[in-house]
Amino acid sequence: MAWMEKYTLIITEKPEAAQRIAQALDYRGKPEKDAERKVPYFRAHRDKELIIVPALGHLYTVVHEQGTRNYYPVFNFKWVPRYLAERNAKNIRTWIEVISRLAQNAEEFIHACDYDLEGSLIGYCVLKYACQGKEKNAKRMKFSTLTKEELEKAYEGLLPQLDFEQIEAGTTRHEVDWLYGVNLSRALTLAAKRWSGKYATLSTGRVQGPTLKFLVEREEGIQSFVPIPYWEVRTEVELQGSVYEVEYEKKRIESKAEAEAIVEACQGKTGEITEVELKEFRQAPPVPFDLGSLQAEAYSFFGYTPRQTLNIAERLYLQALISYPRTSSQKLPPVINYRSILSSLSRERNYKELAQGLLERAELKPNEGKKEDPAHPAVYPTGNLSENPLSDPEKRIWDLVVRRFMAVFGEPAVKQSIRVNIEVNGHLFYLRGRRVLEDGWTRFYEPYIRSEEVLLPPLQKGEKAQLRKVVREDKFTNPPARYNPSSLLKKMEDEGIGTKATRADIIETLYSRGYIADRRIVVTSLGFDVTEVLNEYCPNVVSVELTRDLEEKMEKIQNDREKRENVLLEAVDILKPALEGLKEREETIGEVLSDAIKRAKMQERIIGRCLQCGTGNLMILFSRKTGKRFIGCTNYFKGLCKNSFPLPQRGTLKPVQKNCNACEWPLIEVRTKGGRPWRFCFNPNCPSREAREKRS
Amino acid sequence: MKCKVCGKEAIIVYCKSHEEAYENLVKGYEEWKRALNLSWKKYLNEVIKNEYSGSWVKEVAEQLLKGEE
Repeated sequence: MAWMEKYTLIITEKPEAAQRIAQALDYRGKPEKDAERKVPYFRAHRDKELIIVPALGHLYTVVHEQGTRNYYPVFNFKWVPRYLAERNAKNIRTWIEVISRLAQNAEEFIHACDYDLEGSLIGYCVLKYACQGKEKNAKRMKFSTLTKEELEKAYEGLLPQLDFEQIEAGTTRHEVDWLYGVNLSRALTLAAKRWSGKYATLSTGRVQGPTLKFLVEREEGIQSFVPIPYWEVRTEVELQGSVYEVEYEKKRIESKAEAEAIVEACQGKTGEITEVELKEFRQAPPVPFDLGSLQAEAYSFFGYTPRQTLNIAERLYLQALISYPRTSSQKLPPVINYRSILSSLSRERNYKELAQGLLERAELKPNEGKKEDPAHPAVYPTGNLSENPLSDPEKRIWDLVVRRFMAVFGEPAVKQSIRVNIEVNGHLFYLRGRRVLEDGWTRFYEPYIRSEEVLLPPLQKGEKAQLRKVVREDKFTNPPARYNPSSLLKKMEDEGIGTKATRADIIETLYSRGYIADRRIVVTSLGFDVTEVLNEYCPNVVSVELTRDLEEKMEKIQNDREKRENVLLEAVDILKPALEGLKEREETIGEVLSDAIKRAKMQERIIGRCLQCGTGNLMILFSRKTGKRFIGCTNYFKGLCKNSFPLPQRGTLKPVQKNCNACEWPLIEVRTKGGRPWRFCFNPNCPSREAREKRS
Repeated sequence: MKCKVCGKEAIIVYCKSHEEAYENLVKGYEEWKRALNLSWKKYLNEVIKNEYSGSWVKEVAEQLLKGEE
């Protein structure tokens, strides 16, 4: 490097953040971009020379101090560069080498990763290991948005040292999670391997286990559910020339005979209004978004999983369009400058009128929620407008954040509910209406409001109402609702397990391990068996109470009210007897898990019902003569059904649980090494096949 | 002893999952009887047909019906 004078080295979490910080701090706003062995970094000129170099998320991780992967328990660990622990992390070596070289000529160090557990730990490890012990005298830049103003302010007001409590909490969390994950996963994997002689990864973890347990408990409730019959009586009434649906006073009628008697008594009769009840109520504005509520709202309106929403929100943060999204705060402190944000937002056509309306007010006071986060405020728009075109998902999430931000400053909405009591031959029916008197905050949040008005004419006591056809509806009680990724995340939050940053990933892991499937989550038999083993032989490790307790202790480290050593010792105390229990019964556990893996693998090969014989399933089979694979009926080898279809012989195949658009037959996905995955329909008469053949 | 439905280790007659389903089935009958005044056998048939019944419940009901035949 030609540039050999002394400089300040600023470490960021990701390349995009490095670029933003460099642009904000360079006095001309035009930092020089450089790269060494494909590792980008930036040179900025300010009061002194600055080099801003990014990490790539975590560059260091926890591993077993020594030994092989084939035994447990393991309680001794160390921190190493990720390339030593993970096969797919070779680029990390170059990354660390470049940072180490840049550190040699630096005279000052600034930690500018995200201000939370993960960010603090990322920067700390880089300073400690890659920069050879510079963590002790490095300074800390604290910011919640990547806007020029805030970054300049953070640089001018550097914290004199690193946030060591947060770093200790982050370190402990990684170490405790490693202790749980490596030991329990090895116990399960090795038990299955020793029984069957075949290797298959089975994993569980400190939060993963209890989360799967929630799902198993819900699945048990669904699978052992007996619906109970009940009845509803419904009718329509004609009032002032219009027809309205009314409901019977009892929501659930428990015997068919009673329901029939009500229908008979009311059929063809005229009712009379005996009461008109009006109730006015005020609906307070929503509170600002913390990460969990943003994820829930995005799932509800756009169907994005919590992980997808977090990824989108992080991209918006890196573009300086919204504040840091990994926050549990529902507070918006005045220091963020509400007026300046609204004024900037009013430059956007869609928000102009709404933002200007708010700016005309003498006072702006957000309706804040209870949750706090010492590191960051709630998620809010920075006021910056996008410099580059946003993708549709980014546009949606940004719009949601902007509208929510404006809505929290709105007036309460005033609504009116109306209940009209109609008496018919000794029976009471209710006619319900609903209307908005003052829209208040809802006009800011309009596209994301779900409320239907039911307008009624002015009605008087004593008015007659002619009943139309009275009907009895046969109903059954419903099983408990299945969790979806959003409601599961909410459950984890309510139960206090996991953190805002990790919950979405844990849910994704449960999917990728094959423990759960589908959007409306179904637990697979593998998921059931893993939970059953853990529940039976080491209930403590899947105990929600113990997990929450450990979680709380880790949080206390952040406030200097607990020590890392105590938490680690406690984790070992929980794990030791649990692992002994697993080891003692390794053979039994191995048998259960091997069977479960075998069943899961079989299940993966099933495509759907065989329509030819109606009793078997179509699945991927292997010819006993040639070993070649084909799709055949499960009755094929019994000689009962000869339904079969050819398959490509190269690559891995997987039924995708989606049907062909042209013929509705199930689709198969083919993955070949180095090639893009492709899907095909195995129906020999599929119209799409004909069209393809014609084209070629 | 093996579960009469799935062959897993049984608690008494059924494994843990099917035992729970059986208990719910017995409890549910009281309410079905009150609502529709039907026989045990008819009840089991109705449960098997019902879209909201859990799969373990259906399996136990089918096994009970087979036992009655």
